Amino acid sequence: MSAEAAQERLAGLIARAALGDRAAFAELYRAASPKLFAVSLRIVRERPLAEEVLQDSFINIWNHAADYARSKSAPTTWMTAIVRNRSLDVLRRTREEPDIDDELAANLADESASPAGEAAARFEARSLARCLGELEAEQRQTIALAFHHGLTHSELALHLRQPLGTVKTHIRRGLAKLRDCLMKEA
Amino acid sequence: MRLSRDAVEAIAAEHALGTLRGGARRRFAELARSDAAIGAIAQRWDEALAPLARDVRPVEPPARVWRAIESRLRPSRPQGVSPWRALGLVSAGLASVLLAAFLWIAATPPGEPLFVAVLTAPDAAPRMIVSMHAPGVLRARMVKPWRVGADKGLELWALPKDGAPRSLGMIANAAAETQIRIAASDARILAANALAISLEPAGGSPTGQPTGPVLCSGVIAPAVKT
Repeated sequence: MSAEAAQERLAGLIARAALGDRAAFAELYRAASPKLFAVSLRIVRERPLAEEVLQDSFINIWNHAADYARSKSAPTTWMTAIVRNRSLDVLRRTREEPDIDDELAANLADESASPAGEAAARFEARSLARCLGELEAEQRQTIALAFHHGLTHSELALHLRQPLGTVKTHIRRGLAKLRDCLMKEA
Repeated sequence: MRLSRDAVEAIAAEHALGTLRGGARRRFAELARSDAAIGAIAQRWDEALAPLARDVRPVEPPARVWRAIESRLRPSRPQGVSPWRALGLVSAGLASVLLAAFLWIAATPPGEPLFVAVLTAPDAAPRMIVSMHAPGVLRARMVKPWRVGADKGLELWALPKDGAPRSLGMIANAAAETQIRIAASDARILAANALAISLEPAGGSPTGQPTGPVLCSGVIAPAVKT
């Protein structure tokens, strides 16, 4: 089955789950859970935690299946985001993480944060590989580690044996470069 | 103070990446839920980085995870249980439902229907009767209209055995019958083994799939000969 056909099949199963079709939901779980379980495992690193995340995530998917239709993203993107967010939440419970004291994060305190300007054009998802290729090796490596393993800025600094400021810069500059590149390709 | 576009993009990117944590992560997630513009940017970044997750080697989860999910799905009381869920389980009310269909068919103009479906609400009360007639007319008659706002509409869906629901169009929320011109050989009809009505915005679902709650549903039964 082509990747597109596979995504369409999953979208159909989610739509049926939205109508309460439990057989379709079971099929969705059979099809999607192995990869989603692996995504969580890489972040939380303990099987009991990953099992808990997978369970909570699929209950979430069941309860919000109707919302998926409105989101217009690919089914695996939607489900992976649910699992990643849940995994990072679980990490927060098990590790003591200080609040990020960033100027960026401080700006979020304001409720009227809506950005001025027109709506964003969509990125071209298939350009990510190419845009990642255009980053400096350290930017790419830091971003990959952060994504796959859910490492915080501090943990990345420890792992890569670099100063915290350097790591933050790699990430911020790397993401900004990605943004410029992805917008160009679109 | 408004955040600059650049600042929102930077935060959204770190949120999608996973490096935004703690209180900042919670605040941003809340913003993304409540503000459509920020939500769109957040989603765009989730999609942009999604390909990174594509090549993970799958790991089969243990069976107990699915069992735990299933037990949490089972509602303790039938409150608001989707009629489609109730459908698969109930054969007891079927006789009365078929009787209602029989009586209705007997009263309709000549030309036997090709199939009939009685759509029932969660409380098993029949709410709509839908029948398919040659040469290409679907008739939907409401047993009792719903109380819904003027900005809402009723959309009829054909449910195939496998695959996504397909829309058959909007149904008038009134005592009068709605007729839909559709060929019996239409792929949506051929594949359908059940029908459902969901509550949608007045013009129908903006996505092509159900976005609102299911009001009633029913299997397609062969027509009863008079």
